[in-house]
Amino acid sequence: MKIDLLIPGLPAKADHFLFGICSLVLIRTAGRKILFDTGPFRVRPTLIKALQQFDLTPADIDTIFLTHLHWDHVENLDLFPNAEVLTPRAEFEYAAAPRPNDWGTPPYVREMLRDMRLTLLPEIEQEIFPGITTLLLPGHSVGLQGLVIDTASERVVLASDALWSARDATRAVPDVAFFDPAKAQTSLDRALAAGDVFYPGHDRPFRFKDGKVHYLTQYRYEWSFAFQPLGQSFGVGISTMQTMSTGQRP
Amino acid sequence: MTTSPLITLLFSGLPVSADSFLPGVSTVALVRAESRLIMFDTGPYAYRPILQGRLRKLNIDVGEIDTVVLSHVHWDSAANADLFPNATVLLHDRELAYAEATGEHDDETAGYIGRSLRRLRLRPIVGEPELCPGVQIIELPGHTPGSIGLKIGDALLAGDAVSCAYAAATGDIHCTLPTTSLARQSLKKALDLAPVIYPGHDRPFRVGPPVTYLDDYSVRIRFFTDPTGPDEEIRIGSFSPKSFASWPSD
Repeated sequence: MKIDLLIPGLPAKADHFLFGICSLVLIRTAGRKILFDTGPFRVRPTLIKALQQFDLTPADIDTIFLTHLHWDHVENLDLFPNAEVLTPRAEFEYAAAPRPNDWGTPPYVREMLRDMRLTLLPEIEQEIFPGITTLLLPGHSVGLQGLVIDTASERVVLASDALWSARDATRAVPDVAFFDPAKAQTSLDRALAAGDVFYPGHDRPFRFKDGKVHYLTQYRYEWSFAFQPLGQSFGVGISTMQTMSTGQRP
Repeated sequence: MTTSPLITLLFSGLPVSADSFLPGVSTVALVRAESRLIMFDTGPYAYRPILQGRLRKLNIDVGEIDTVVLSHVHWDSAANADLFPNATVLLHDRELAYAEATGEHDDETAGYIGRSLRRLRLRPIVGEPELCPGVQIIELPGHTPGSIGLKIGDALLAGDAVSCAYAAATGDIHCTLPTTSLARQSLKKALDLAPVIYPGHDRPFRVGPPVTYLDDYSVRIRFFTDPTGPDEEIRIGSFSPKSFASWPSD
């Protein structure tokens, strides 16, 4: 069993657009190459590059585990025509007619799924591959499912947006209880009780011990903004290393 | 009595690049002409709730938009065309054919965009029809096979045929298809046609020479690296860029 982070989720918000950069994970086991969620369109080139680091192309991915059908988890589905798509039946059925105020689920998401090999997951927790069990985590969306992976040494919880960021763990309250807040609370509690290592939907993976978050990876993002037609561009960076080194802990 | 058409920028495009994601910060404009309410482009899905909020602030219900003009079908322009239940969606005949083609697309066109657009009331455009007095479709192919703009009096909503002021000042263009010479012709056509350009990924500018911006902008990004700490905020503005972690670069 190999679990590799392809793209860490980013807990960022902007006033001009949603980031939607969610955790994408590659799981290789039992002859399967499983991609956990597909991310928003904006990470498409990064996702392709990340797969290349494992000598894979999108065509090599044979299985996609799609936790729920929000835009930022489904927009790269069309990169993977050879994959079997596992997604909760409750999500698929709901997506035929999303609530009018649900801007997270594209009303055309079933068009995105058309022509793909779909396996709809029932509302039960089951071992879908050896050592990989589904976890029912509704609330953020109608029928979100995550995964618990038993490795030899620990239990890894891929919680997607039921655990939006590490803040959900330290505050013990779900930050983005989009669909049903009461269920989202129950699901967060369930997810946190299900293992030792956590992959949140929009944050870096972490170990959670005695109420403290210990991140397992770093990231660095750089932007370049142009302000004048022929002027210098202006760089802005977000780097977990730098912030940690300035010691902004309370 | 007729009043001249009015352009309201809902989203200013920004000439931003990033190291490991596509910002896709594209221009979305509302055009009010006589009794018509026309959307020019709809942005990436990442705009969706913000777009809805900005229309609400203008006291415009999505049901009142009668026409949506799509400059092209890239992921960051056409993803919210379905938001307007009573609108006719205009795009170039060649662009629709390109969107629906099952073969290879350029890497900014999602495979499912044609199917998702087909659910809408489409009106494929050929030539350069006038939508109402002072509002005319302009063919600007090259960036994509059927890129179009919308001329409003002296101004041109150019889509990605004029991606940014830098392109206007230098003639450099970004084109992922083997149609660079066509795109260059369209850039020239756009700049010759209108003294004021609303580019696809930049603020509106006067063509000049010299190329001069007509507007400013600011973007705020909030994030955290410590789940128990406060949010950090980066504010990027066209006059006073400020950030906790910024540096000039070229």
